[in-house]
Amino acid sequence: MTAAAISPGRRPGRLVRRMLHGGGFWPALPAVLFLIVFLVLPMLTLLAFGFVTIDRGRIVGDSFTLQPLWAALNDTLVWRLTWRSFYVAVISTVMTLLLAYPVAYLYSQTKGIWRTLMLVAVISPLLTSALVRAYAWLVILGGRRGIVNHTLIQLGVIDEPLRILNTDYAVIIGMTQIHLPFMILPLLAVLAERDRRLEEASFNLGASRAETFFKVVVPMSVPAIFAGLALVFAISYTNFIVPQLLGGGNYATLAVQVYEQTVVVLDWTRGAVLAAILLSSSFAFVFLIVWVGSRINRWSEARA
Amino acid sequence: MPHIVMESIIKSYGDVRVLDGCSLSVEKGQVMTLLGPSGCGKTTLLRTLAGFVEPDAGRVLVGGIDITALPPNRRSVGYVFQNYALFPHLTVAENVAYGLKVRRRPGPEIKDRVARALDIVSLGPLGDRYPAQLSGGQQQRVAIARVLVLEPDVLLLDEPFNALDAKLRLSMQTELRKLIERLGITSIFVTHDQSEAMMLSDQVAVMRAGTFEQVAPPLAIYDRPANPFVATFIGRANILPVGLRAGAVVDFPAVVAERPDGPADLIVRPENLTLAAGRIDPGTGQSGPPGTVLFAIAQGPTIEYEVDAGFPEPLRVTVNRRSGEVPLAAGSPVSIGVIDPAACRVIERGTP
Repeated sequence: MTAAAISPGRRPGRLVRRMLHGGGFWPALPAVLFLIVFLVLPMLTLLAFGFVTIDRGRIVGDSFTLQPLWAALNDTLVWRLTWRSFYVAVISTVMTLLLAYPVAYLYSQTKGIWRTLMLVAVISPLLTSALVRAYAWLVILGGRRGIVNHTLIQLGVIDEPLRILNTDYAVIIGMTQIHLPFMILPLLAVLAERDRRLEEASFNLGASRAETFFKVVVPMSVPAIFAGLALVFAISYTNFIVPQLLGGGNYATLAVQVYEQTVVVLDWTRGAVLAAILLSSSFAFVFLIVWVGSRINRWSEARA
Repeated sequence: MPHIVMESIIKSYGDVRVLDGCSLSVEKGQVMTLLGPSGCGKTTLLRTLAGFVEPDAGRVLVGGIDITALPPNRRSVGYVFQNYALFPHLTVAENVAYGLKVRRRPGPEIKDRVARALDIVSLGPLGDRYPAQLSGGQQQRVAIARVLVLEPDVLLLDEPFNALDAKLRLSMQTELRKLIERLGITSIFVTHDQSEAMMLSDQVAVMRAGTFEQVAPPLAIYDRPANPFVATFIGRANILPVGLRAGAVVDFPAVVAERPDGPADLIVRPENLTLAAGRIDPGTGQSGPPGTVLFAIAQGPTIEYEVDAGFPEPLRVTVNRRSGEVPLAAGSPVSIGVIDPAACRVIERGTP
């Protein structure tokens, strides 16, 4: 009786207190507001364009329609572009992992000045824009006078220049290099801080260096591997600069198509619909990667 | 032929000489403890034996075979890490099976031996748990089972009880001692806890600054410490600057010393001293040096006194307490005597 009489009186006070406390939310408020105003709202606006009729830059009132989305989903070109976006991103992401892991592992084995130099070397590409780096790949991979072809022809390895530029290969090579730091950095943090005694324990139990690497070091870095995979997949899948520059005029991925529809063709409705497909599929794939990662990493949730 | 032999091991990190010519031999089936303060090189020596540290000079032999150049994964030396270093991504059974799997043993044999190893440490039902789901004591047992399942020649343990709370520590120490005795495996412990060393080992090697100060059975070390460092590290001791005359200590004539007359240091344990109110030593009937009680604490079974007896440091005396006995008040005049003169050590003045 007394308890029942007291508790309703207490509840509002506790609620107010909890709201004032905010569970740590208040410090994040500026960032959240910034993201809402400059990311979420523009994105929603853009996506909304896909579901209304736009006539000469004006939204025709009360004209919600699923027709553009339906049309895009029935367009085999869209599916072909999505597939290309997907496999280019997958191959490039796997390549970044294969190239990044040895670098991050080497970093974790070095000390002092060499370690600092390696970190600088890993980060410094981020100081130039991805556009510049894509142009650099144009110079390297380009026709007869590109560095690769020129060297190979001079050495007599090939007679005719290799056709790398304007193919999937160029796009994958460029993307892999440009996105490498995003894979190296999470791996580097985890590998450098790892508990070396686990490796000593593995040696002590009779495992060789290679066995220890694959049975102890790699499994322990699974969270970082999947963080890197998710990050690099997302930026590779949605990248339009690299496919556009290194893929050439006749090459397109879904992201390139979004850009062209919006900026060149000025068909905002179709651009918005394609962007919605790109965004939602990207989200699904990233979610899948994270889910697989946490399945493999089940042990980390095991607590007494 | 000793089972483990280490010959003048030297190891430096930069300018710091961590191991300065350590030589040690351990008989088969014996338990040796490396005891010393932190930074004395005891863990480095153990890691040298396991192959994690490559010595700058010296040799390591196990069973008469030189293993100095052998990589850690080719040595039959089990190592239990201070925080156990269990693989967090593997279950208890997978942790224990790890060494057998890298040795490519057939599946049924692995299963059988893992089950037996887990039974030895009474963890049979917990095979499917992850290390994070175990208590500290259980984790330690997994670490031991993981090593024992490979039937190594030598068992090395780096402060294995450090991470356990006091109560669990005591029972695990007893359990481990029994287990080692049952398996008859040559073992080396590292610890900085002297009571642990006393309890677990057949031999104790007291280390300081990369060298051995004394290697002897635990009671021998306690009763006949080689120097003040050993005396104060194992148990407590009074180090008294005394004079020698005619082969006996001036202040305690009952204590004889086969040394030339002159200054010397006397090592005497607090419990080997006694005191009585007044000026007559009740223990031997001889009069000891007179003193004044500075401080007294009754601790149930014993009373701890600090007595000013004219030495630079106050003398520490531990006497047994009878029921109802109240310690003497500070300032009381007392007479101090030695209970067993043979248990005192007279050494050269100024030995560190």
